Amino acid sequence: MTAVIALFVLGCMTVLFALRLSVGTLRAPDSGFFPLVLGVMLIALAVLQGVQLHLAARGAKAQAPDEPRSQDSPWRVALFFGVVALATALFDTLGYVLVSFLLMLGLLQVLGLRKWYVSGLIALLSAVAAQIVFVHWLKIPLPEGLLAF
Amino acid sequence: MLESLQYLSGGFALATTFQNLLYCLIGAVVGTLVGILPGLGPIAGIALLIPATFGLNSTSALIMLSGIYYGAMYGGSTTSILINVPGETASVITCIDGYQMAQKGRAGPALAIAALGSFVAGSISIFGLVLLAPPLADAALAFGPPEFASLMVFGFVVLSNVTGSSLVKALIMAVVGLILGTIGMDPVSGNARFTFSSAYLLGGIEFVAVAIGVFGIGEILVNAAKPAEQLEQHALVPRFRDLYPSLDDLKRSIGAILRGTGIGFGVGLVPGPAPVIATYASYAVEKRLSKHPEEFGKGAIEGVAGPESANNAATQSAFIPLFVLGIPFGPVTAILLGALLIHGVTPGPLLIAENPQLFWAVVASMYIGNFILLLLNLPFVPLFANMLRVPKRILLPLVMLFCLTGMFSVNNSVLDMWVMLGFGALGYILRGWAYEGAPLLLGLVLGPKLEVAFRQSVMISHGDFGIFVDRPVSLALLLATAVFLLLPLVKRAVRSLRRKAPPPAGETGASAPAQEEHR
Repeated sequence: MTAVIALFVLGCMTVLFALRLSVGTLRAPDSGFFPLVLGVMLIALAVLQGVQLHLAARGAKAQAPDEPRSQDSPWRVALFFGVVALATALFDTLGYVLVSFLLMLGLLQVLGLRKWYVSGLIALLSAVAAQIVFVHWLKIPLPEGLLAF
Repeated sequence: MLESLQYLSGGFALATTFQNLLYCLIGAVVGTLVGILPGLGPIAGIALLIPATFGLNSTSALIMLSGIYYGAMYGGSTTSILINVPGETASVITCIDGYQMAQKGRAGPALAIAALGSFVAGSISIFGLVLLAPPLADAALAFGPPEFASLMVFGFVVLSNVTGSSLVKALIMAVVGLILGTIGMDPVSGNARFTFSSAYLLGGIEFVAVAIGVFGIGEILVNAAKPAEQLEQHALVPRFRDLYPSLDDLKRSIGAILRGTGIGFGVGLVPGPAPVIATYASYAVEKRLSKHPEEFGKGAIEGVAGPESANNAATQSAFIPLFVLGIPFGPVTAILLGALLIHGVTPGPLLIAENPQLFWAVVASMYIGNFILLLLNLPFVPLFANMLRVPKRILLPLVMLFCLTGMFSVNNSVLDMWVMLGFGALGYILRGWAYEGAPLLLGLVLGPKLEVAFRQSVMISHGDFGIFVDRPVSLALLLATAVFLLLPLVKRAVRSLRRKAPPPAGETGASAPAQEEHR
């Protein structure tokens, strides 16, 4: 039901923001017309999905799960995502090589490669290889950060 | 016909330049890798490679990116057969008999037939593309805004009908995609919409960020959530000398390959995730036609030959609506449309007339690409299969690094990376809630086109919505849309009527729950 509520809210917000724009007329629809129609459609579909879920819950069994998978390890996903977000935040400041090294090291640790010297070596090789491929071969202007000299 | 062949020979001249051959090879190799590595499908693969094509001309770029698409179809079978894990969704059905063959020590013939079937199907379908695309493009010139608007609505509804388990959920995702597509400049008046005074949002949501996020990062996060032991994979790596199928294998496969080609080609022309549907349809047909249906599920070679041919045929024919109408009918062709637009090429009825060099060179490169893939997938299968020995706990961080790098290089923007991560988190959550990402991506890419077609239609008709039903092609498309919308309701009504009907005399009560289970 969380998904349905989120979609309903998104639909309402779309309608509200669309009404702030010029909707125009049926003869000459303006900028707000299409988003307004879409917002109303989303609200209708969210309500329909809510009714379906409600009926399914009242019946013998729900048709589809509406909650995240139970066998997942949410903490590992959160940690994994946190490392990636941190790397993104430091991307410009530290530079590509350092960030790719730290990102690889962090993610390998999160995924259970506990031996520091193994994960350190893999991270180093990956960072160097990425630098060669993306910066030197493909000429992508990636930030140099702290190593700019 | 003769004119098409003349143009095709010109296309071969352009496709066989050293540069284009190199990009075709790169596309085929990357596609094979994308197909082999579970967790990285053709959508994320193409999205990741788009920035690398910025320095290329549009022909070379499209040759490489389309090579990734059909290359992934070849590679996807390898993981299905060797480790029972589909490399991409169109290879799910190959797991059934392909893995059983591998378990019986027949991985080599299964891989060889999959590659041969893919080659035959791909080649025949490209011929179909050569024959059909030019006349269809001429016919599509008669399409006006109402026809295009109805066609896009039809595409959304059909895709939603065949995607995932729930029509409502798929339609919701399509509408969310369309809403995201309205962010930025209004395509008709040029007014800013939903930008909240941000210059970044004026250009709209970067579709590459959405594609890599929802399909690439979402999948990486799903894998990262799995227990550590599930991140290890054990592949059987066949030797080169074991790859040859027997004469009996070939005899049993040839019919399946040709039927799979026909099914795949037809399915590729209609909206939906064509390669996936084609494999299921082909498997069902082969099982029904087989003299030994009991072998299916236990290692029947027809169960590999048919679906693998079907997914390749569907991949090639899916290019017809993209090139001819400028409307992608599936998520992968949607991202190819995005790539074409970045390169300043607008596909549609005029593409073949206005940009014949690009069209025919890409078609010619498909022949060459198919041949390269046959070579790659026979002698080099043991080499590619060794890729599967790289543990996922190393592979996932590497793919994540590629995603971040690829995203940054699109606009040299860290903000794009944040948007990608946001959509990655959304992709992960959507998977948990059983919502499909494909309609969302299609909505985002097609949204502006649909809005322009819709607004132009009502402006032409001075606000009269009858324009959509007065024109025969538009009316036919809307009627077909209504059929697809009502189909699930009719099915449900029939089911509930059957449930309420009393069982025929003599039937035991035990059969009813069994039937229920099959539904």
